[in-house]
This record gives sequence, C-alpha cells and structure tokens, in this order.
Amino acid sequence: MTTLAPAPPRFARLREVATRPTSVLIAGGVLAALVLAALGADLLRPADGIALDRVLAPPSLEHPFGTDETGRDVLALSLRAMRVSFAISLLAASVALLIGVTIGVLAGTLGGWVDGLLMRIVDFFGSQNHFLFAILLVVLFRPVLGAAAAVCLSVGLSHWLVLARIVRGELLSLRERPFVAAAVGGGASRARLVVRHFLPHLGPSVAVAMVLLLPHAIFHESALSFLGLGLPPHQASLGNLIAAGQRSMLAGAWWISVFPGLLILAACVAFGTLGEYWRDRHQPRWRGELEL
Amino acid sequence: MNPPAFSVRDLGVTFATRRGPVTALSGIDLDLHPGTVHVVIGESGSGKSVLAHALLDLLPRNVTLRGSRHLGAEDLAAADARRWREVRARHLAFIPQSPMSALNPVRRVGPLLVELARARGVARSAAWPAVAAALRSVDLDPERIRSSYPHHLSGGMAQRVVTSLALVGSPQVVIADEPTSGLDADLIDRTAGHLANLAERGAALLVITHDLTLAQRLGGTTSVLYASQLLERRHTGALFDSPAHPYVVALLDARPERGGRPIPGMPPELTALPGHCVFAARCTRVRAECRREVPALHPLDDGGVRCVLHAGVQQGVG
Repeated sequence: MTTLAPAPPRFARLREVATRPTSVLIAGGVLAALVLAALGADLLRPADGIALDRVLAPPSLEHPFGTDETGRDVLALSLRAMRVSFAISLLAASVALLIGVTIGVLAGTLGGWVDGLLMRIVDFFGSQNHFLFAILLVVLFRPVLGAAAAVCLSVGLSHWLVLARIVRGELLSLRERPFVAAAVGGGASRARLVVRHFLPHLGPSVAVAMVLLLPHAIFHESALSFLGLGLPPHQASLGNLIAAGQRSMLAGAWWISVFPGLLILAACVAFGTLGEYWRDRHQPRWRGELEL
Repeated sequence: MNPPAFSVRDLGVTFATRRGPVTALSGIDLDLHPGTVHVVIGESGSGKSVLAHALLDLLPRNVTLRGSRHLGAEDLAAADARRWREVRARHLAFIPQSPMSALNPVRRVGPLLVELARARGVARSAAWPAVAAALRSVDLDPERIRSSYPHHLSGGMAQRVVTSLALVGSPQVVIADEPTSGLDADLIDRTAGHLANLAERGAALLVITHDLTLAQRLGGTTSVLYASQLLERRHTGALFDSPAHPYVVALLDARPERGGRPIPGMPPELTALPGHCVFAARCTRVRAECRREVPALHPLDDGGVRCVLHAGVQQGVG
C-alpha cells in the first residue's frame, strides 16, 4: 500500500528556524537590526548637523547616544559610520577572498614547486603579526590609492592566508577524485578542470570562511581607523568615532566612544555567532581549522 | 581487415616507487580495429587499468613508459600535452571505472555531457540534441537526466550515463575500464548490449574487465593479462572453448560453474618479476625450460600464447 507523504505543515520553515539555539536567534535578530539600521540611517535618524547650543549632551530621550563636542547626534553619526564599516569590511573580505582563492587554486592545481613556494609564502606571512602587517600596508598604499582603498587592500592582503590554505587543502583531495581522471580522459584542459570542476566544489567552504572573516574585517577596519590610519573624518567609520571620542573622554563624555564601540562589539559577536553556527552545521570537521 | 584505429607496440609501464620499480605492463602489443571488440581480462593487479590509462596518457608522473602508441598513422610519441588533450577529447572516448564517482557530484549531468560533446567538436547548437540522442540510445529519459545531479541517479543509471559518453560525436576508439563493476546481472546484460552497439556503429572498442561472463558476451578478441604480461590472445569464443595457456585453463576452471577450483599460490610481486615465465611458480605443467627465460608469444592460428608448451604448435590445445 502506498501512502502519500503528509504535506509539510504551514510555517514549517518558521518552526524549523525557531528550533535553533536562542543565541543564534538573538544574533540573527541583532544582525538584521544593525544592517537595516545602517542601510536606513537617513530615514531613521537624519543627520542634524552642528549645533553649538547642545555640545557634549549626555544620553537623553532626544539623543539616546548623546551628542559630540560640536553638538551632533552620536546615534546619527554611529549609524552612518556603521554603514561605512560594513561596506569597507565587505570589500576587504572580498579582496581576501579573491587573493586567497587564487593562491589556493594555483598551489592546489599546479602542485610541485609552485605549491611549495606559495605555501612557504603563506607560512611566512602567517608567522608575522597580521595587524602590524596591515598597518604597514596601509602606510604604503594610502598615498597612492587613497584611504578607503588602502584600508580594503591592507585588510584583504593580511587575511587571505586562511582562505588559501582551505582552498589548497580542498583541491589536494579533489584532485584525486575519480571524476577528475574522467574529465581529463574526456579531454578537459587544466583551466576547464579548475573552472568547471573545482570551483563549484569550493563554494561551501569558501562561503563559511567568508562569513567568519567579515566580523574580523569589521574589527580590523575599526582598529586601523582608531589609530588614524583608516578613513578620513568625513567618511567616518565606527573606529573614527571612537578615536574622536577619546578627546572628550577626560571631560567625562564617555558616550561618544562607548556607543560606537558597543555597536562594533554587537556586530562582531552577532556575525561570529551566526558564522560559527553555520560552519558547524555545514562543515563540522573544520571546527579546528577556521579559528580566525 | 581495416587498418587499426589505435595500435600499441611493445608497451611497457614501470612505476618508480619507494620500494623500487614496479612493472605494471611489459611487452604489450595491441591493435584496435574499427568495428571490433577487444576484451582485456585479468585479475586485480594484472595491469588492466594501467593499460587503459596508458592508452589515454593518463598515468602519474612517476611512470616510465616504453614502446609506441599510434592513433591511425600518427605516432603519439610526438604528441605534446595540447595534442593529447585533443586526442582524448576527439578520438578516444573513455568510459571510466565506477561511474558514480566519475561524475562530478556538484554538477548537473546535462551541462556536463554537453561540455563533453563540445569538447568532441560538436557544434554548440547540436550539442544537446547529440547528448539527448545518446541518452535515449541507452534507454534514459534525456529531459529527466538533464537537470539531475549524480546523486539523483541510481548506480545503473550512472553507468548508462557514462556509457552514453562514448556515443556522443562518434569517437573512433572507445576505452571502457571495468564498465560493469558493481552492477547486477540484469544491468551487466544491458551494458554489454550498449557496448556491442558501439562496435556495430564502427568504433574500435576496448573493454577492460575481470568479468569473464561479460567478455564471453562481447565476443571479438580477448587478451589475458597476468602479472604485467599478455599470456594469451585469441578469438573470444575459442579462448573460452579451448584455452591454450595453463593459466587461462586454470582461470576458467576457477569459475563457479566449472567447479570453482582456485589456482594455488599468489601472483608474483610486481617489484620482483621472475626473469622467466611469470606463471611458472603456480603452473601444474611447469618444465625446466619455463624457468630459463620469458617465453615468446607463440602464434596460434587465431592469436598467440606466451607458453613454451605451444612453441612450434599451430593449434590450440584443450
């Protein structure tokens, strides 16, 4: 006797989501709220400009994050800064992705001395302090490329190592799979193997690495901006705001630095929680490898 | 008979390993004629799959290859990597072992096959129709296969998909490596039918298998490999009716329907092949001269046998 499988209950997807750990639900909610707030900054909190009659006002109902030393609303500034931070870190992570995948594919596909050389380069950079390396790169690139591009490049160039290692490792095992011999037997060139057979396999592992890289990039961008090596004040990111807030800290105005800092913390923790959850669901065996 | 589409002379393959050189093939001659079937049988480790890979130049780097390979009149010793790719794409169709793992698990089957058809030189617009026709001729529904991933297919369907690879763009030579491993009897029968069709269409077909029943079904010529050497080559029917080499006699007697008598002993280590007949150590009819040198491939009226018992004899013995 055959019976039809019961129709999936309505809202099954929603129920499935609801069974996830509370921390993941909270992180998802926080992240969604932050992204929406960053995107909708102009609607939510229009920039209100300089107002010298309310400088360094503590948090109040009217100005939940207080005002800065020129009377600007810190909430409005923070939302815009968050947008900049997100955009820059996304770009930086993409740079890392591009470099990491390229190097990983070259090393994994060509093998031999190319692989040896590339992996020693990875080891060399991996053994340095990558934040110091990022600072060096910013200093090099800033005069040539401008601040925003310099930050993207320096964070990207200092974070591709993990991606290259993951991609190379994947390829080493992919190369030995029978379908590769079958494809070569069918007359596939090396380039075709890479594009049509290898890259589609790398999707999940690279996506997981990307998601874990994002909070790291946000954090790095903020750190560079905090040191004054990041973006110029008129394109302030969260790091800039924190740095600017230092000056008022001694005057007791803690809110200018603390609130942007909390936003960074919230975004990083939310991204990290989601990324780790996703990684553990999709690729449990990488638990150890992907500690960025 | 037509001139061979692919021929091999004195082919030898040696793997350099840490435990010394491993001889996987030595002194193999092979002619694949259009429209005929050539079956290579042998037990595991006899060099069957290495032979398939040597014909396609798909061997790893630690290999030394001797002898010559000719595609038609072209000597492939002169072929560079680019030419080899072209030869593999256009002239030699490879039906790989274990079809499930030979299909890329993250690619849909349709585009994969279309890509192969394109590599064979089929025009872009004609590629899918050609693939669909090939799939239909192995009794698969092209529209259903097109958007399937390999894990959607059963083992038998995957086997038929890779068999259909050989039907696209009518390649001159088809090399099938263990096309029936892991299939049940019914599917083996169908695969044999599909392979036989290939030869009828004019392809030179080389089938590598350890499945004696499949060899018998396919007919044509059969070569028996043992410990890297060709021991006997005959018309398939004659080989099964009246095997000449003591090894082949013993091999056929080892089949369940013939009493299932195992051959005592083990095949020689490929790192240390004896300088004489490779089967001498297990042979029941061994003589002193068997241990002197590797016997020549003595001609029989329908092939040849590498055994001193047949030196000067022009007739197969039962």
